Amino acid sequence: MLSDAKLRAIKSLTPTLSRDELLWASGYFAGLAQGIAGGQETAVAAPAAVKKISLVYGTETGNAKKLATQLAGIAKKKGITVKLTGLDQYRFTDLPKEEYFFVVISTQGEGEPPLLAKKFYDHIHENQLNLGKLKFGVLALGDSSYPEFCKTGEDVDARLEALGAHRVLPLKKCDVEYEEDALHWLDNVAAALQSTTSAPAAPAAAAPKSVGKKYYMGKVITNINLNDRGSNKQTFHIEITTDEPIDYLPGDALGIVPSNKQSMINKIIGITGIDPEKEIQTEKVTAPVRDLLSQHLNICYLLKSTVKKFAELTNQQIPDTRMSLYDLLRIYPVKDAAQFEEVIKILTAQSPRLYSISSAPNAHGENEIHITVSKNQFTVEDEERYGVCSEFLSDLDEGHEIEFYIQKAKHFKLPEETSDIIMIGPGTGVAPFRSFLAERDATGASGRNWLFFGEQHFVTDFLYQTEIQNYLETGVLNNLDLAFSRDTDQKIYVQHRVKEKGAELLEWLNSGAHLYICGAKDPMCKDVEDTFVALLKEKGTSEEEARNYLVQLEEEGRYSKDVY
Amino acid sequence: MSEKNNLSGTEKIKVASQGLRGTLKESLKDAHTGAIREDDQALVKFHGMYMQDDRDRREERSRKKLEPLFSFMIRLRLPGGFITSDQWIGLHHVAGKYSTGTIKITTRQTIQLHGILKSHTKPTISAFNTMHLDSIAACGDVNRNVTCASHPKESPLHEEIYQFAREISAYHLPKTRGYYEVWMDAEKLVETTEEDPLYQDRYLPRKFKIGIAIPPNNDVDVFINDLGLIAIIEDGVLKGYNFAAGGGLGSTHGNANTYARLGSMLGYLPKEQAMKAIYEVITVQRDFGNRSDRKQSRLKYTIDKMGVDAYRAEVEKRCGFSFEPARPYAFTSRKDAYGWSQNHEGKWYYTLFVENGRVVDENNYPLKTGLLKIAETGKANFRFTCNQNLILSDIADADKAVIQQLLEEHQIIKSTDSASPMRRNSMACVALNTCALAMAEAQRYLPTLISKIEPLLQKHQLADEDIIVRMTGCPNGCGRSPNAEIGFVGTSLGKYNLHIGGDRLGERLNTKYKDSLDETAILETLDGLFDVYVKERNAGETFGDFSQRKWIGDSH
Repeated sequence: MLSDAKLRAIKSLTPTLSRDELLWASGYFAGLAQGIAGGQETAVAAPAAVKKISLVYGTETGNAKKLATQLAGIAKKKGITVKLTGLDQYRFTDLPKEEYFFVVISTQGEGEPPLLAKKFYDHIHENQLNLGKLKFGVLALGDSSYPEFCKTGEDVDARLEALGAHRVLPLKKCDVEYEEDALHWLDNVAAALQSTTSAPAAPAAAAPKSVGKKYYMGKVITNINLNDRGSNKQTFHIEITTDEPIDYLPGDALGIVPSNKQSMINKIIGITGIDPEKEIQTEKVTAPVRDLLSQHLNICYLLKSTVKKFAELTNQQIPDTRMSLYDLLRIYPVKDAAQFEEVIKILTAQSPRLYSISSAPNAHGENEIHITVSKNQFTVEDEERYGVCSEFLSDLDEGHEIEFYIQKAKHFKLPEETSDIIMIGPGTGVAPFRSFLAERDATGASGRNWLFFGEQHFVTDFLYQTEIQNYLETGVLNNLDLAFSRDTDQKIYVQHRVKEKGAELLEWLNSGAHLYICGAKDPMCKDVEDTFVALLKEKGTSEEEARNYLVQLEEEGRYSKDVY
Repeated sequence: MSEKNNLSGTEKIKVASQGLRGTLKESLKDAHTGAIREDDQALVKFHGMYMQDDRDRREERSRKKLEPLFSFMIRLRLPGGFITSDQWIGLHHVAGKYSTGTIKITTRQTIQLHGILKSHTKPTISAFNTMHLDSIAACGDVNRNVTCASHPKESPLHEEIYQFAREISAYHLPKTRGYYEVWMDAEKLVETTEEDPLYQDRYLPRKFKIGIAIPPNNDVDVFINDLGLIAIIEDGVLKGYNFAAGGGLGSTHGNANTYARLGSMLGYLPKEQAMKAIYEVITVQRDFGNRSDRKQSRLKYTIDKMGVDAYRAEVEKRCGFSFEPARPYAFTSRKDAYGWSQNHEGKWYYTLFVENGRVVDENNYPLKTGLLKIAETGKANFRFTCNQNLILSDIADADKAVIQQLLEEHQIIKSTDSASPMRRNSMACVALNTCALAMAEAQRYLPTLISKIEPLLQKHQLADEDIIVRMTGCPNGCGRSPNAEIGFVGTSLGKYNLHIGGDRLGERLNTKYKDSLDETAILETLDGLFDVYVKERNAGETFGDFSQRKWIGDSH
């Protein structure tokens, strides 16, 4: 990048400098670079210093968490990007991939690890991992009045080294009064990062050009119901990994074709007497009956037009209605297996379902993708039924293979990093905003972030609560407004919070903020839009002008909806 | 006061709290969490609450990306442990609406409710207020609930002494109105923080407990209090009190500087001088107690550091009068007298057994419903004992039959009569799943353990012995295990230190005999101990006294 002359000039100076002087100089040049008007295309040559670390904590009383959060905040001010994770949330498969890994961990009772860190502790002690890439440092919290002072920290420190990791900082043991020691330790972390010469391994992988619809083969690695016991809801957080990098951006959706339940297919085969192995040619595919029914055709909730065709084909009187294929066959039987073959040919293809992606490439890596799926429950003739795809997804075991594609968002995208964003996403509508926040956290975007979230109950239904709390604590999330509709006598929804915060919201919008709404089209999105219109009318605009304001925002690309 | 420059974190929080207000109002408004802010967690104790979380649910909720299931325990201030039937009815409904539903009688004669969500704390306190109940100073570094011999039958002077307990409680309340502002949105009357001559802005170095015993019963466990008063009654007249200071049962595993201790006798004072002396015992602790290390800050450590004589002299100097030598008294029991009894006025009392103080309908025993029905008659008052039991009191002769019938209908009499002596004398603290300090189970486990000890007692023909057994989930002593004849102190899940050698009356501490036993080892050990006891005991020798002589020895 530098001309030879410039390079020579710098090289002539450097051999005379001490290590400290070199460090000072690197800071000096960085400062000069910042002084030059920002936003220039010419990227400043990355100083040979690490900017990105993983900071994990194991906590029982909350001290280690509090400290780690505080350290992460300070580190960010020093220009270090920190991925902060509780060891209870930490995914073991990430460990061998980490480059800089710092641990804040306390010790319990008689030298035991904190309950929430025990799995991690056991994992590293019970497995022969290869951590040759890992560079680490451990800050141990303890109470010197106990005999096994800081034992967990000592164990982790020793074990990481035994597994081949390289210790860049000696173990630091802190007593009950830990504040000062911890700050000092962080300074040492920063210094250790400065002094390392290995450039961060982040080759700018060229995004693979997608031609048509690109399908990825992924494996489910996590599938948890986020709602607690006693909730009326079931919302599944599903993490999928792939071998090949996934080309996606925050705001995109994941498309998936669900499989129908085998038990249902067996019942249909049983009631019709058809040979499940018989190949049949349908409009789009030719496959054995069993595969058609499980992979390719919609059998769960037939269209009215399909029911009508069925009535004509089987010559029966059937009311104008929608129902499942099995119910139809049960009430209006086919004559024989041959007639059912004809029925198969009139069935419509299974359509893919789209889910807002809740992960972010820069936060979760390009080989991983998350979705947030509400198990869609409804009642047919007093019987509880579930939506076919949400049931399919919620039942997926960890390790299950799954095929999906990415549906690119046209407008629902993060704005430039300096812009403020307002995100309104009750229920699973929070999914893309988890992605937005994770991305903005990982990239250190400077724009402000405001989230509105709502659900039924605070105790059981606060989706991604601990993550959202961390974003609040680290300042990634500037404003958070919550509406739990069934915790109070009067039902409170997100639009009520929007109304309460009206003046401030309009201020944000007037100063260029982008507005996003995700979730139910009706009534939520409609109610929120009406609330904005009412707010504008209070300011003296007419109904029409107010509606136009929203249209105008949309046209400017400052208002996007992902509603369903 | 050498620690002045090294104040503990809690000391700084107290001083900065502006009359215990802190940022509690803001904490209650933090909608993203069921917790309150860290400093406020220390302050909320002074308002009678602890922030807790359901430890059984931590891991599962953490996987679900939910914070721990935070809730609050609210403890009432009930000096002398007395409420009316109307108050019981109110309590019953508040417990059902806002808490787990269980009404817990504590080891210090009051009531606490668990599992109250942050959003329900204000409605709960408001509801209490309309019943003329409060939780001010029920926890925190202040004079806490004043306990008092619970059974009116003990003496015609009970009423006089009970009233004194109420006066002590009222006299030593913090002066701040923060409680009303935070929990009931009362308007702030003055801009400055209220003057408080007793607590100043720093309150006490640690909790402070006062209990009053009326001999011959030591049901309040008087010597475990920071200040224990023993009523001296001569010729049927209350003359005054013996003062015993420096009791406290808490200690920390692995910290040799902490220990359980029974109160030391300061001496006797006539009743007219008692209140002044109580006040000054507290001020000496306020001024001389350790404020840098909370594990050294109870009065028991202050008095050991100063020496009993020096502590007494400082109190006398502040009072302007001196203690007389302690007057004679004798305790013969510290258990509750179950069943019906009548006092000097002819009023009836029924003392019922409440296992570990938990009033709840469970295991086909409708205790809570029965007590509600009794309260609804309006014919009985409710008194709590320091053994976590309940006395239905002040029942007129004409009403006795109605109460008797309700007691029978709800199996209360059967439950009280059929419990073994060991079970009836047992006590356990709350421990898991809500207490943050617990290392092992206590109230959820002791009933099961006793069911396994009972066959051993029968085998050794000890089933009728009033052996006092107590269990705590940690060494802090809320369940008073350190002065039981058999004390279990939790060390980790399923493991307990076994302590023996405490006496029956609460005048001698027990001593650790075995470390970290599991259930099998506990039962084997007790089996062996009972065997030797039966063979070698002297006539009338209690298990506690025998254990001390045989296994512990005088060296302890």
